[in-house]
Amino acid sequence: MKTGDAGFITTTLDKAMEWSRSNSIWPLTFGLACCAIEMMATQASRLDISRFGSEVFRNSPRQSDLMIVSGTVTKKMAPRLRRLYDEMPYPKYVIAMGVCVIQGGPYNQGYSVVLGVDRVVPVDVYVPGCPPTPEALTNGIILLQKKIRNEADR
Amino acid sequence: MAYEIKEEKGKDGRKVYRIDRDHLVELMNDLKKEGYDHLTLISAVDFRDRIEVVYHLEKSSDNFSMLVVKTETKDNHMPSVASLWESANWDEREQYDMMGVIFDGHPDLRRILLPEGWNGYPLRKDYDMSKVQYVNMDEEGNDYVSFDPGDGW
Repeated sequence: MKTGDAGFITTTLDKAMEWSRSNSIWPLTFGLACCAIEMMATQASRLDISRFGSEVFRNSPRQSDLMIVSGTVTKKMAPRLRRLYDEMPYPKYVIAMGVCVIQGGPYNQGYSVVLGVDRVVPVDVYVPGCPPTPEALTNGIILLQKKIRNEADR
Repeated sequence: MAYEIKEEKGKDGRKVYRIDRDHLVELMNDLKKEGYDHLTLISAVDFRDRIEVVYHLEKSSDNFSMLVVKTETKDNHMPSVASLWESANWDEREQYDMMGVIFDGHPDLRRILLPEGWNGYPLRKDYDMSKVQYVNMDEEGNDYVSFDPGDGW
């Protein structure tokens, strides 16, 4: 019922910041391999992650909060990935999507693949799978939101 | 013809020519005049004592019928066919990068996939997997390779 009275809620500034931050995570458009197809499906109409506030994939690292590392990170790509991560403004988060990104996956015995992107950048959420389903990535984003909302308590 | 072709039958009945290395360019010249205007790929097979280099040619005037030319080398040197087909330029660079086949007469023989300074040829059977190599980028954006895990990834 609209009464015209201005209601109010009380909270801490930290909580309000976390709440707003967790509901507008803008990911970086950063597809490295086949996991990027699933990332696109997550973003597209059927499993729309804009329901959770992550709809705007930015093309510039300077405008994005989240880096979804989707696909095999080769040794040649790792310095570029690090540079993109360094260009992102704080606060910034990383999701490691897929088993290649987590520990090398099927390329673990190879010569050209970084054995885990956590050697290059700090990772917040690991989403296993080869590739992970779009639902799994959505779950990873929800997990990241929960993590952001509890940052002040940690 | 001054050279001798050994003709084999491939698995699916496609034509396979086997030629010795010294007459490869001569044969390729003649094949191009015959109408084989598309070099699909160059690949190489490591047999430890020799390296076999395989060329796949296609003829666009004849429904892209395919011809496979095989040749082999014992000292890693091959004549370049980059003057005949432009696509051979990058294909030969790839084989140089992965297998260490040195194509004599190539206009710009550098590594194409791996960064400059990488040690060894990774698709060789005698490639040393125990020595892990790390790649990093300097301020200008050029890659460099080191064996030090603290420098690069």
